[in-house]
Amino acid sequence: MIIAFIKLRFMQILRTANGIGLLRFIFLLGLIAFIAFGIFMLTAEVLKSFYVSAICIFIITLIQIKRSDAQFLKINFIHFKLIYLTEYLLLMMPLFFCLCFHKQWTSIVSVVASTLLIINIDYSTKRKSLNTFIQRVIPLDCFEWKGGVRSTLVLIIIVWTIGLVTSFFVASVPVALFILGILPLNFNEKNEPLPMILSYERGTNSFLLHKIKLQIVLYTILCIPLIASFIFFFSDLWYIPLIEFFILTTTHIYIILTKYAFYKPNSKSNGSQTFGVIGAMGIIIPIFIPLVWVLSIRFYFKARKNLNFYLNDYH
Amino acid sequence: MITIENLVVSYNKRQNVINSLNLKLSKKTIHGIVGLNGAGKSTLLNAIYGLKSIDSGVIKSENKKMSKKEIAYLVSENYFYSNITAREYLALFKNTNFDIDKWNKLFLLPLDTIIDNYSTGMKKKLAFMVILKQDKPVMILDEPFNGLDIETCRIIHQVLLKLKEKNKIIIITSHIIETLTNLCDYIHYLECGKIKFTKEKVDFKEFEREIFELLEKKNEDLIKVLTE
Repeated sequence: MIIAFIKLRFMQILRTANGIGLLRFIFLLGLIAFIAFGIFMLTAEVLKSFYVSAICIFIITLIQIKRSDAQFLKINFIHFKLIYLTEYLLLMMPLFFCLCFHKQWTSIVSVVASTLLIINIDYSTKRKSLNTFIQRVIPLDCFEWKGGVRSTLVLIIIVWTIGLVTSFFVASVPVALFILGILPLNFNEKNEPLPMILSYERGTNSFLLHKIKLQIVLYTILCIPLIASFIFFFSDLWYIPLIEFFILTTTHIYIILTKYAFYKPNSKSNGSQTFGVIGAMGIIIPIFIPLVWVLSIRFYFKARKNLNFYLNDYH
Repeated sequence: MITIENLVVSYNKRQNVINSLNLKLSKKTIHGIVGLNGAGKSTLLNAIYGLKSIDSGVIKSENKKMSKKEIAYLVSENYFYSNITAREYLALFKNTNFDIDKWNKLFLLPLDTIIDNYSTGMKKKLAFMVILKQDKPVMILDEPFNGLDIETCRIIHQVLLKLKEKNKIIIITSHIIETLTNLCDYIHYLECGKIKFTKEKVDFKEFEREIFELLEKKNEDLIKVLTE
């Protein structure tokens, strides 16, 4: 049964690969290889191998808490925990390979023991209907921010407050800006239903520009106090938060354009998710930034063409 | 009046899902579209709305090209954006004459709760409220009664009859034939991408009997073998 299930998972991966196209799949493989190489190098040292293992365990814990098939597996399979375990161990095979290669036996034991504990976690997050002043001031047609802020409001407030209060430390504001810049990337993960984009009653170009404008305005409002505080304490380093802000803003624009370049109502697009990963990589690995800018131009035209099918009656 | 002439719709140009379909849909009327699974009901509705490109033929409204601006479309599957409340979702659609709270006295939805926590029936009610708020001259309702309780089905039934009187064209599909025979003025039977026949209200009883007999006869022998 386990083997049949794993085969099923591989089929799912193959079909997803088929869905995103060969070139993008190769690109994604390249990214994975890049990360795998990073893991291989980091696991050479004892302390760093612990950090890498801890991050992997954290990711596996998130998967266990967030997985949507838990109820299905519990109802239909007696040995559902064995399925969890097999999946997680297979997922961590590259890590095990690296740890074995560098003979990091303590890390291996820790990862396996933690995985055995994780598969027993029977907890799922329930979404809360948070209706605060902040949700009310966000414009009605910026539903991505309304939804996104609702799910991450606590984190945003904590990061923003710590960033501002400790802005006399040189690294505080750049780190806060970085975290606050990454969070909105998820706001645009899902494609909205068609009535939502039709509700704007705008043509393609006007719709795209409106979306970009809203994103820039809201993100700027969030960042201005942090940037101002940083410049107040470190006026000679004024360009650091501004460059960071610029890179993150262009990444947000890229994510919006990617979303609508591959937009299909009521779904998550494989294409936009793959290219979204490239955008996110641009924030971490600077060599991707020019690629993100070039792709933004390409996706602007692709988004216009794609949305025109849906918004053609609003020109 | 919506006029559909020689409509051809296909996927990948291999096989026509809608095959030279002709149909006239008049105002102040509720039209039911019936067909077995795969008959092309949803494809037809998507084509009318403009969600599916047509290969050939014309879809006109009052002799002009059909526009999305004229249509409110309730799709069969509920899908909403994550982490937004029903009130926020409804507020996206512009219609100052629509009082959300007054209408909600009929549907009793917790409007300030995020939609993710709604049941299937509640999501359907919300989707229907959006259709009402849009207040377009043409309403396309794909399986509007799926997942709803008896009371809400009855409410929607009553509301649709009232809306019909406001000069609207209402197109509705359902797998439950009785729902359509109770509500519609015309029922169009779709088979292999064509309207096989259209029945008026006076013929609905006979239509129901015929269709049930036909379907029962079709599978009778196999059911007999399988259950012996």
